[in-house]
Amino acid sequence: MMNYIWIAMLLLGIAFAGVTGQMAAFSDQILSNAGEAVEFVIGLAGIMGVWSGIMNIARKTGLIDAAARLAAPVMRFLFPGLTDKETVSAILMSFMANVFGAGNSATVFSLQAMTLLDRQNGGRETASNAMCMFLAVNMSMVQLVPITVLAIRSETGSANPESIIIPSILAGLFSMAVSIALCKYYERRDRKKWRRS
Amino acid sequence: MAQILNTISLFFIPAVLSIVIGYGLYRRAPIYDYFIEGVKEGLQSAVEILPFIIAIFVGIAAVVSSGAMEFLQDLAAPLFQAFGVPKELTSLIILRPVSGSGSMGVLEHVLSTYGPDSFVGRCASVMTGSCETVFYVFAVYFGVTSVKRMRHCLPVGLVGYLAGILASVFICRYI
Repeated sequence: MMNYIWIAMLLLGIAFAGVTGQMAAFSDQILSNAGEAVEFVIGLAGIMGVWSGIMNIARKTGLIDAAARLAAPVMRFLFPGLTDKETVSAILMSFMANVFGAGNSATVFSLQAMTLLDRQNGGRETASNAMCMFLAVNMSMVQLVPITVLAIRSETGSANPESIIIPSILAGLFSMAVSIALCKYYERRDRKKWRRS
Repeated sequence: MAQILNTISLFFIPAVLSIVIGYGLYRRAPIYDYFIEGVKEGLQSAVEILPFIIAIFVGIAAVVSSGAMEFLQDLAAPLFQAFGVPKELTSLIILRPVSGSGSMGVLEHVLSTYGPDSFVGRCASVMTGSCETVFYVFAVYFGVTSVKRMRHCLPVGLVGYLAGILASVFICRYI
């Protein structure tokens, strides 16, 4: 899938660069963005290191088990069959970091969760139900306080920058409900399909 | 309300740290050694995701710098208008799933052009506040797995995203 999306992005870019005569800008941007990607990951590496370190403490001391037990009811609904405590806690931390707007930390936990989910999926090439659900929830998760948006609003002279917080949360919750419902629908449909075949 | 939420957000990292270290002390664990061990793993995975991040950054650069993005925006504008989404928001809607920093730039532009407290401005803010960079998440998250077939992930992500946009417009219009 990613294969096609990526190829489409590049070919589309090349075709348009040719038509609009933006070849120079196109080449420049591609290379400079590759450089930015490296800088981004270097920035991320430090944060990943710190969080992995902290989570390792939590894991070895048994704190993670306690947290996983606490969240079990919700997790059982979203991820039936997911019992690995480490995965559950990575998912939990990713959700929490998302909600509290710890942007890059959220990415780190999500990647950790995906790695663990992949291991449970036996490294298969088809995504598991849990992976799809994790992404569905993750992508529709709202930040409690969208700091950057608030900053841009007050910078552009808003009389009440915070007035969008509650509407954002409502819109996010709606989007999350739709995503979870759709994900559950697909899960059920696939289960039927597999049973028949 | 906003103040309370903001304070909670500020305390997230210190709170997690205190709980983890506090519990470690209570258990008399070798906290420092555990930390170093975890950092090693974290750095390892940073190296592993780099190729995927480079790939998605390059792909985004290709679409944005060539003008293909602008074309897609013009193409999609009438479609969104049919659902009552103001056409001033099209570029934001198209760019948001692809690039977080890019959509912040567009938001800035929309807010300074139409005013942050106008209908369009409020819609744009709520949208940016409630939606994620869907494509970016796909590329990077699946990048660390061996998954090639994403099954229903893409439709679910896109439908959820569109639901968020429509909800943003609806809420701004009636609430």
